[in-house]
This record gives sequence, structure tokens and C-alpha cells, in this order.
Amino acid sequence: MITTNAIASTSQISDSRREIVRLENVCKYYGQGDTLVKALDDVSFVIKEGEYCAIMGASGSGKSTCMNIIGCLDSTTSGQYFLDEQDVSGMEESDLAHVRNLKIGFIFQQYHLLPQLSAMENVMLPMAYANVKPKEQKDRAAAALERVAMGHRLNNRPNQMSGGQQQRVAIARAIVNNPVMLLADEPTGALDSHTTEEVMELFGELNTSGITVIMVTHEADVARNTHRIILFRDGHIMNDCLSPSELNR
Amino acid sequence: MDTWESFRMAGKTLAANRLRSTLTMLGIIIGNASVILMVGVGQGAQKYAAQQFQSLGTDVIFVITGTDNARRNVIAPPNRLVLADAEAIATQVPTVRSVAAQINGSELAIAGNNTKRATLIGTTETYAIVRNAEVSTGRFFNAEDVKRNSRVVTVGAAIAKELFPQGTAIGQTVRMRGTSYEVIGIMSEKGAFLGTNQDDTIFMPITTMSSRLTGKTSPYGVAVAVINVSATSNANVDAAQFQISNLLRLRHRTSDVNADDTFTVRTQQDALEIVGNITGALTIMLAAIAGISLLVGGIGIMNIMLVSVTERTSEIGLRKAIGASPSDILTQFTIEAVILSLLGGAIGTGIGVGGILLIAAVSPLQAGVSVGAISLAVGVSGGIGLFFGIFPARQASRLDPIVALRSI
Repeated sequence: MITTNAIASTSQISDSRREIVRLENVCKYYGQGDTLVKALDDVSFVIKEGEYCAIMGASGSGKSTCMNIIGCLDSTTSGQYFLDEQDVSGMEESDLAHVRNLKIGFIFQQYHLLPQLSAMENVMLPMAYANVKPKEQKDRAAAALERVAMGHRLNNRPNQMSGGQQQRVAIARAIVNNPVMLLADEPTGALDSHTTEEVMELFGELNTSGITVIMVTHEADVARNTHRIILFRDGHIMNDCLSPSELNR
Repeated sequence: MDTWESFRMAGKTLAANRLRSTLTMLGIIIGNASVILMVGVGQGAQKYAAQQFQSLGTDVIFVITGTDNARRNVIAPPNRLVLADAEAIATQVPTVRSVAAQINGSELAIAGNNTKRATLIGTTETYAIVRNAEVSTGRFFNAEDVKRNSRVVTVGAAIAKELFPQGTAIGQTVRMRGTSYEVIGIMSEKGAFLGTNQDDTIFMPITTMSSRLTGKTSPYGVAVAVINVSATSNANVDAAQFQISNLLRLRHRTSDVNADDTFTVRTQQDALEIVGNITGALTIMLAAIAGISLLVGGIGIMNIMLVSVTERTSEIGLRKAIGASPSDILTQFTIEAVILSLLGGAIGTGIGVGGILLIAAVSPLQAGVSVGAISLAVGVSGGIGLFFGIFPARQASRLDPIVALRSI
């Protein structure tokens, strides 16, 4: 029933758009026998191009497992996962790395910028793994930093920047390879409320420009900015609603 | 990620941890410097020994009593060489230029209040020619002195200095076992070589020495320890060795082809080879000891790289998340280890070469900078970096990105 709901709600937006994420009966189990934990139990949903979607849930609800699977960092126990209409379940580790590199832009709570590299070099990193020519790397990194309003801090190291600035650099790094989606894990968890607003504004702008954004969070305030909320509980999707106001009910 | 990019990235990471990188390299630096230094010193010693032998004259042949084997098994090998053997060699072997028989001894020499224990060599007047021995003042004893059992001596430079601190030694007398000898000459300073020091030696006619001091005579005449022979030319050394052997076999009645010789004929070339073997083995031993420190340096690299993998877990997780494949991570960490060891190898080589040049400047050892040793040491240190770097790099490449990202 939940499955039908999920498919139905997405189909209301538009049918013609590309499916970026499609989970079909995905299960993820840990352990065996008595200690078997069903982190995800028969989960299906679709996220289409251009959506701005929050994945919510308490800790242990399965939202992190779901994010790891969507982010191609973890494999499924059963079921299939199509990323950008390509079946990635059961792919080799090195192929998955390639998929992550080109199709997913990760944003983390702790920014995860490399301290020994400048903002520019941090943003160039995904392109280095994609074997982009150095000249093009520089141009694209500068453009990405410009897009997140960090064009003036190209040569600063992470420890010379504020948390909000570091997160902007991290977002620039996420968008620089033109991925099919941004996958943000508690992107504002380490920021104060003012900076949180700024960063959320940036996510909104990026989404408006056509980038699919998936955000894992437990803060309702943050989720309120998105257009769709998928709520997890005990490994199932408990609710999949199109507007945050529905969540309140 | 291409290789050049990986090198650049590794360089940045190492430069960001300068202290740690330096300390890691230290082991390789010391290992490499010591290998190059030790091999250089060993080869220098080899060259030095060879030069010393050359200074004795390359055309010299030594006839020694007993075989190597006999000398090893018996304290006093029988059937000694005698003075008559030396005379026979001088007169009957055509490729021989000059012959000097020699008896060795050791006596307490007294002059006034000064005493000194001296090495005693009783020989003939030809010794100075055969052994390249030069007299600085006075003269070496001559054929007449040998014939007449004259009580004359030519003394080494150190003896002259110690027994006669004031004034010249020439014309003075030295007493040994109650007999006085007139000093007629002083040898040029030559320095110690292989345990013998010509400067501490007193030379006297062989006849005088055998009749007054040693009294060592065999039924066949005056027994001698060594017969020094010089060939007519370097090219004739081998011929002379062969002819002397044959002559002595006839004289000592060991005509049976299979019988053991009662003597050994050794050329300077043989002696050079023996010394070469010994110093060569010494060089290898030194290099091996130094090589162990290189190994320890390599283990140091592995140690630090393992720590580095643990410490940089979140970096590895991030790199994997944004698209680094396991082989990218493997390459990155291996390159870091190889850079450390190669750089350490290069610095160590610099220090080693510097040390060699220093040694060459302040000591007689002309320690050689051996290209072979350098390329070997640098190659080995690079290999060590690769070998000891791969294990930590594999650990890094196998990290699960989820786990790695969580560890902050």
C-alpha cells in the first residue's frame, strides 16, 4: 500500500521527467538469525529530475541506510536500485566509484574539505578523479565557486574560512561535475541558524536552476524548505507527502 | 586520476605534514648514507691496500718455506729453504733480475740509555733493489759486508729517531744481545703496512745475523724464511714463478709430480688477490650492516604510513565518496611512500657522498663514490618504499567509505 502511495504521489508532479532515483522493493538486512536487523524492508519510491526532497526519520529509522544506498556507498540485500535509469545494484566497487564521481554530488555535515588543499583545489578534486584536463578543472572550479558566492576565496585553506563558507565550498565541490543529484547529509547540522538559512537559500537556488536535491535531515525547519518529504520509521516509508504542511498533520 | 596528478597530490599531503615526513625519511636517509659511505670506505681500503702492494713493486715474487697447508697444520714446516736455494735461483733462473734471501727476528736494541724492541731482518745487499727500499742517509750494507759477516746495520727511520734522539745515528753503535753493531745507514720513512713497519726494522747482513743472533742453520746451510725475487719484467713474473718452482722442486727432490711442494712461490699478484678478497668481504659485510639500517628505515615508513591511514580515515572516506576508486587510493598512498623513500634515498646519497669526499680529504683512504652503490641504494630505497608502502595503501583502499566518513 505504501509502495503504491509513493509511486502515485510522484506521478502527480509530472510523468515526462526523467527518473533520477528509482528504488524497487529494496531491502537491507544486517546480521543473521536472532540478531537480524531489517534496516530497510521492502522500500520503493521514485525521485524525478528537478525534485527537492527531504528524507526524514528518527535515528534507527533507516534513513541513513537509505541515503547510503541512494549514494551508491552501500549495496542492497535484495531489490533493485536505478540511478538515472541505470541499474547500479550489484555493481563492482570501482564502477560504483565512477558512478558516484559523475552522478552524485555529496554534501556532509562536517563539510569534509581536505585541510591541505585550497578551496579551488578542493573543488577540483572530483574532476581530478574524472580525468578532466587541468586547465578545464581550474575554469570549472572557479565557475562553481562563483556560483556559490565564494569566488573571492579561491586560494583560502578551509581553516581560513567560516563554517558557512566551508559548506559553500563543499557545495561547489558537489556541483562541479554536473551530477544528476545532490545528496546532502544533515548539511546544516554544524551551522548556526543564520548560516543555515543562507545555505538553505543556496540549495533552493540550485534546485530552481534545475538540480535535483535530496536532503537527509531530522530538523523539521530544514525539511520545511523542501518540496517533498519522505518519512522513515522502522525500515519502512511511513509517509511520503508533497508539502511540509501535510507532515504536520 | 592520472599519475602526474597523483604525484602532485602526494607531494602536497607530504608537504602539509613536514615534520612527520622528515622524521619518516630519516630512517631511509641514515640507511642510504651509511650504505654509500660504508661501500665507499670499503672500496677505498681496497684501493689503498692495492696501492701499497704496488709500491712494493709488482714484479716481486716471494718464495716462502712450506705450503699454505703445511703452515696451517705444522708449527715449523720442515725442509727449509736455505741460502743456497737463493743463490741457485739467482744464477740458474734466466727471468730473474735479482734475489734477496731473508731471515726474520726480533731483538731488543740498546744505544746508550735508549732501548727499543725492533724487528730484525737479515738479508743480502740486493734486498734494497728487490724490495724498493730506499736509504735516506748513509748506505745499505754491500756485498762485501755480507761476505765478511760485518757487524753493520741499516736502521729504520723510527729506530734512528728513538735510539739516537740527538744528533745523527750514522757511525754510532747499537747493541743487541751483547754485540755492538755500527749504524751505516738510515732507511727512508715508509709507514706501517699489513702489520710490518719498515720504520721499526733493523737490517743487517744475513751472514752476520745467522752467525751471531739466530744461529738457525740447517744441514744444507743457512736457513732462510723468505727469498725475495724480482723478475726481469712484469711480463716475466709468471714465467719466473714457474721456473723457480721447477728449480726448487729439483733441489728439494720433490720431482714426483704429485708430491706436495715444500715451499710456496707467491707473486705480488697473488698477494693482491688475497688482500682484494679480504677487503672485498669486508666491504660486503659493511654494506650488509648498513643495509639493515635501510631495512629498519623501510619498516619506519610502513609504520608511519599505517598511522597515517588510521589518521586520515575520513579523508579516504571523502575521496571515495566523490569518486576515488580503490585503485586510486592504493596509488595515492603507495606514491606517498615511494616519494618519502626516494627523497630520503636522494638526501641520504648526498650525505653519503659528502662523507666520502670528507674522508678522502682528511685520510689516505681514497674512498670512491661508486655509481653502482648509489644506484643500488636509491633503487633499494625506492623498492623499500614500494614494498613497505603497499601494505598500508591496501589497508586504505579497502576502507568502507561509510565507516570512513563516519569517523570524524
